[in-house]
Amino acid sequence: MMTHVRMFGRMVGLNVTMTIAYRAAFFALMVSSVIQPVVSLLVMLTIESQGADLPFDRSQLVTYYLLLSFVAICTGCWVGEYLAEGIRDGELSNTLVRPVPYIYNFVTNNIGEKIVKLPLLLPILIVIALLFRSELSLPSDPLRWIGFGIAVVFAAATAFLLDFALGSLAFWIKDVSGLFRIKDLLQGLLAGQFVPLALFPPAFAPFLEVQPFRYTLSFPLEVLAGTLDGAALVRGFAWQIGYSVVLWLCYRVIWHYGLKSYEAVGR
Amino acid sequence: MPAILVDGLCKTYRSFRKAPGLMGAVRSLIWREHVLREAVRDISFVIEEGEVVGFLGPNGAGKTTTLKMLSGILHPSKGRAEVLGFTPSQRAFAYLRQISMVMGQKSMLWHEIPTYDTLLVHKEIYRLDDGSFRRNLDELVELLAVEDLLRVPVRNLSLGERMKMELLAALLHQPRVLFLDEPTIGLDVVSQARLRGFLRELNRKFGTTIMLTSHYMDDIQALCQRVLLIDHGQLRFDGSLNELVMQSSPYKLLNVTFANTPPSSQALAMLDPRISQRPSDDPLRLNLAVPRELIAETTALLLRMGQVADVGIEDVPIEEVIGALFTGQEQIGVAA
Repeated sequence: MMTHVRMFGRMVGLNVTMTIAYRAAFFALMVSSVIQPVVSLLVMLTIESQGADLPFDRSQLVTYYLLLSFVAICTGCWVGEYLAEGIRDGELSNTLVRPVPYIYNFVTNNIGEKIVKLPLLLPILIVIALLFRSELSLPSDPLRWIGFGIAVVFAAATAFLLDFALGSLAFWIKDVSGLFRIKDLLQGLLAGQFVPLALFPPAFAPFLEVQPFRYTLSFPLEVLAGTLDGAALVRGFAWQIGYSVVLWLCYRVIWHYGLKSYEAVGR
Repeated sequence: MPAILVDGLCKTYRSFRKAPGLMGAVRSLIWREHVLREAVRDISFVIEEGEVVGFLGPNGAGKTTTLKMLSGILHPSKGRAEVLGFTPSQRAFAYLRQISMVMGQKSMLWHEIPTYDTLLVHKEIYRLDDGSFRRNLDELVELLAVEDLLRVPVRNLSLGERMKMELLAALLHQPRVLFLDEPTIGLDVVSQARLRGFLRELNRKFGTTIMLTSHYMDDIQALCQRVLLIDHGQLRFDGSLNELVMQSSPYKLLNVTFANTPPSSQALAMLDPRISQRPSDDPLRLNLAVPRELIAETTALLLRMGQVADVGIEDVPIEEVIGALFTGQEQIGVAA
């Protein structure tokens, strides 16, 4: 166990080093993950100021989008496309000849990025929060923050496993980039990234509650906002954990059969 | 227990064939003709611990595919492979900790960071304690003379330097079996010779079993006591290089340089009809492919035909033997 912990720690360290090595690309990704929620916030504030009947007031909108940036950084994942590329061009072989679970390489890459990103993005978020300080309202109940923290961890796991499972389809589908574009679109719409899910017509509510994208972004924010009653909270966590487990099983099954199809092209 | 046991191993790749042009592309959207390509066909061999075996064959013969199956990267389509008692495709960590794979044209290192960072990860992955890590590292750094390169990002290294670092990373955990796929490709002559010396030393010192593919016959001649020849996925030969030459070419090359005038064509007509003449740039030099059993008699006859300045007797170059085998030439050595 300790060996795995040390190995995992060392791989995270390695990925932190590599993330820093790609300074320019990294900075662009970093800024983009803040810009989109801020733009959405400005659009929503404009709509609200023109008298639109929204189920959120200004304060709730500001709080939602600022925390959305934070959660988006915590749960953001890009490993799927790298994995697909590695399967397609044979780079995956590097991972396969090492005595280490193949998923470690991708999990540690994801964590390494976050370790670098969070301390750099938090100051930007704090500056934006100060600009909107009169309208920002954060809950004081520690239980809500604990629930939020747990939901963020599971949201990150769900987002990672969804991305990873999708990328793993490259064992059979040579170009999965189209699937990722569809996933990005659905993620934007159904995770609450563009607009809060509460703004969708009520008829959509049963569907929105059960679809997986909610649990990668919106659900932790709903937990923190206190908009869910006890039963909805339990149901939400059950869905979130359920999705994590199902996606993990999907990954195991896909890799079991996928490795048999892997061609390790190239020399 | 042998180090490597391969029995009836096969690998079939599945791909699809597309008609050329735009129409072909459109048609392939609706219907695709799938084709199966047998990269490795029913090969069997056994390699004992400590052997250095050359794996030869033309491009696309199935060498790399076989190495990938033995290192656990690819699953065989059929047949059995066992390395150190493990089934490679199961990727047991206890197995992967005892082997290494180096591919000359594919880097196993992380390019953005210095090799030393990769080695620190390998220390944990291969469960090396501090003492073993330091000892193995010092030894390899000295053997490969790469002290100054350890902290340079891999992408800033030259090809030769990178290759050394690939070997360093691959050997840090002292694998019992080493798979090398074209390890000297792209290296200059000096680096190639150094690398060969290093591998010989590795085998001598630690008894590492090495399976090596290379297009450079110098690599094979310098390192391998035994060669496996593979062509179109099938094993065509398994034995020593000498046996290969003896079996494949019943000729030796007899090169005689005359001091002033070469023998006349009438004189040469006295030679056995099985002897054939090979091209020569020098009018005073006679190059002959002579059946092995006639070599003494022919040499004596030529010495009587004129004043001889120099005589050389050698085997047909191994490149020529192998090249001829792969092109299906029957009389190896006769046509140069």
